[in-house]
Amino acid sequence: MAEVKSAEFKKASGRALRDEKLQHSLEHVMEHFVGARASVIENDFGDENWEAMRTRAAAIKQSTLEHLDYYLDMVDRSVRRNGGHVYFADDAAQANAIVLDIAKRNGVKTVIKSKSMVSEEMGINHILEREGIEPVETDLGEYIIQLAGETPFHIIAPAMHKTRQEVSALFQEWLKTAPTQDIKRLCVYARDALREKFAAADMGISGANFVVAETGTVCLVTNEGNGRMTTSAPRIHVVLAGMEKIVPAVEDLALFLRLLPRSATGQRITSYNTFVGGPRAPSDEDGPEEFHLVLVDNGRLNLLRDEVMREALRCIRCGACLNHCPVYRKIGGHAYGWVYSGPIGAIVTPPMTNMKVARDLPYASTLCGTCKDVCPVKIDIPRLLLHLRHKVAEGALGERSTTWMERLFVGQWHGAMRNRKALEGKANLGRLLTRPFARGGKVRKLPFAPMVSGWTASRDFPAPAPRSFARLWREELAHDNAHPNGTEQG
Amino acid sequence: MPPTPEEHPNKAAFLLRVRSALGRTDPIVHMPDHPSLKSNAVRQQEKVRTIVARNEARRSSALDRLARTAAAASWNVRRAGDAEEAASIVAEIAQQSGVKNLVRSAEDVFKRVNIDAALRSVGVSPAILASGRSRSRGALRDMAFRADMGVTGVSYAIAETASCAVTPRKGVARLASLAPPRLVLLIEPEQVLETLDDFFAITRLNRMQARGRTINYFNFISGPSRTADIEQTLTIGVHGPGEVHMVILG
Ligand code: SF4
Repeated sequence: MAEVKSAEFKKASGRALRDEKLQHSLEHVMEHFVGARASVIENDFGDENWEAMRTRAAAIKQSTLEHLDYYLDMVDRSVRRNGGHVYFADDAAQANAIVLDIAKRNGVKTVIKSKSMVSEEMGINHILEREGIEPVETDLGEYIIQLAGETPFHIIAPAMHKTRQEVSALFQEWLKTAPTQDIKRLCVYARDALREKFAAADMGISGANFVVAETGTVCLVTNEGNGRMTTSAPRIHVVLAGMEKIVPAVEDLALFLRLLPRSATGQRITSYNTFVGGPRAPSDEDGPEEFHLVLVDNGRLNLLRDEVMREALRCIRCGACLNHCPVYRKIGGHAYGWVYSGPIGAIVTPPMTNMKVARDLPYASTLCGTCKDVCPVKIDIPRLLLHLRHKVAEGALGERSTTWMERLFVGQWHGAMRNRKALEGKANLGRLLTRPFARGGKVRKLPFAPMVSGWTASRDFPAPAPRSFARLWREELAHDNAHPNGTEQG
Repeated sequence: MPPTPEEHPNKAAFLLRVRSALGRTDPIVHMPDHPSLKSNAVRQQEKVRTIVARNEARRSSALDRLARTAAAASWNVRRAGDAEEAASIVAEIAQQSGVKNLVRSAEDVFKRVNIDAALRSVGVSPAILASGRSRSRGALRDMAFRADMGVTGVSYAIAETASCAVTPRKGVARLASLAPPRLVLLIEPEQVLETLDDFFAITRLNRMQARGRTINYFNFISGPSRTADIEQTLTIGVHGPGEVHMVILG
């Protein structure tokens, strides 16, 4: 499985914040996605219809999850009826072994890949390389990060952090092309290099955006046309799909194909959709000769088992929650340390990988709730984040995660909030203690290390007002604002 | 029909773990309640009959809608009053782009729209790209990649999204619509559907009615091949055609 580096979260996000170029491109790209999404929804459906579509999609996905064993069986039967092979892999290692076995049995030397997040989880490129098989990513963004030896920065814009100069340098090194600042030129270089690979490859690996249980149809969504190439140029097609990718009926695709591209890039639909459910018949002129579908668990059971977390498996990987997240928009994708980033990464990474290593991720959120509002399948991400924080605090890591000072503080807080006099007394004490450190209405540094200095290490705290609201009310406002007809309104 | 592949040895244990994660001990025997799974072949046929009737009744507004959404999705849209005009539009496009090598599929639409004659009159001689014409796959491949324009028909065109469904019927060589940098699709009025729902309802019925022979593979082409993967700058024509034309009859 791909290495989990989420323990580095704090350090890595600090690095991203100091990178000015990155900050600029993040703001630019995210703003573009947000604007495009809003206007296509407004034009095509309006808020009310969109809301109804999200509700329906959430219900379909949730019901599929509640009956997942039934639908997995249905997928298996449908695909095999079509003449395709189906595999069930418990973890990344099993999935890798299955793919490797298919490749070796067929003497495969070159594999072309269309974007697959599951294959990122599996870290399959390394496994193939070790066996002397060359994997080539064909999505332009994925190809760039493959050459750079990195992981995707964003679910749908994997190389958004790379400048044209950096891409040109990579192509010079790997493709021996001439340096250029022209993006169109760069695309032509990549296309020509990849065309050779398409012609040479004996096996194509793709992900799946949707797997239809009823018909065994795998649906791929791409803009470049690489999905189409990957599924029909090589003799063998292998699909890697998370076990939650299922929708029950082929007619459900209409709804999901309306939701996904609009949420992702603000497009009405992407330029290409490929539908493949098995090998082609000898008389067909299109489609792969062999078809293999690998259904992967790899930690998803941990989400399914927890009734609160289960809804995270509704995710259709559109990236809207990333684009709208004030935290992702500052720190970008690499800080999250694994395959999935942003709000969805923060909720799925700890249960899917390791709660201990990824313990900081559920805290990487202001809980503003925008992710929940834009999610096409209405995942209540803030609630799930709180649930994970609760688990961390309750000792799910086999250790007490709070310090004695935090416990003391929370104890005092608890007492204060239940008693008006105590609250005012404590607030006044706070006022007295912090006033000497306030400058221009902000407290920039508190010295009482280590108890509270952590609070101001990376943020300013608004300085308390000289007089509390309660005092202000008593002394001035209560008199002025007495209700004209003398009745108190609650 | 190839033999049905065997069940994977891990299937039973895998499903058992999923079931126990969901807090159940027994498998589900009755199909879960899902509206789009419920209707049987008879009801689906009824549904599709209504869809077809509606699309016939609203054909001209559907064609207008298709022309609008296609233009918005960067298609070059041309409408032809009749087959003859359609053929001369194709020739015009080829001429304007200075096309030298043109490939077309061997679909029925070309029996009605004689593009070959129109093309020859502007000095372009089309090559027919279909296997089983005593050409090897390699030769077909080379032809497709050398071509600077491809012309094919479609199975359906969906007005809602300007999506052209391309299914592997006889005579439809995949590469004609994928390899050349310029693509022209000919669309006949009966092929136009209003919505994605219409298309998938028909797809489902076709599956239910297919006896032992189902189509496992089809594609939507809904615009030019595009990427914004470098600096979010839109670039067209990555792996597929960057210039796409829709010629709508009617
Ligand atoms: S959680 Fe929702 S918004 Fe985020 S990627 Fe998944 S489907 Fe999209």
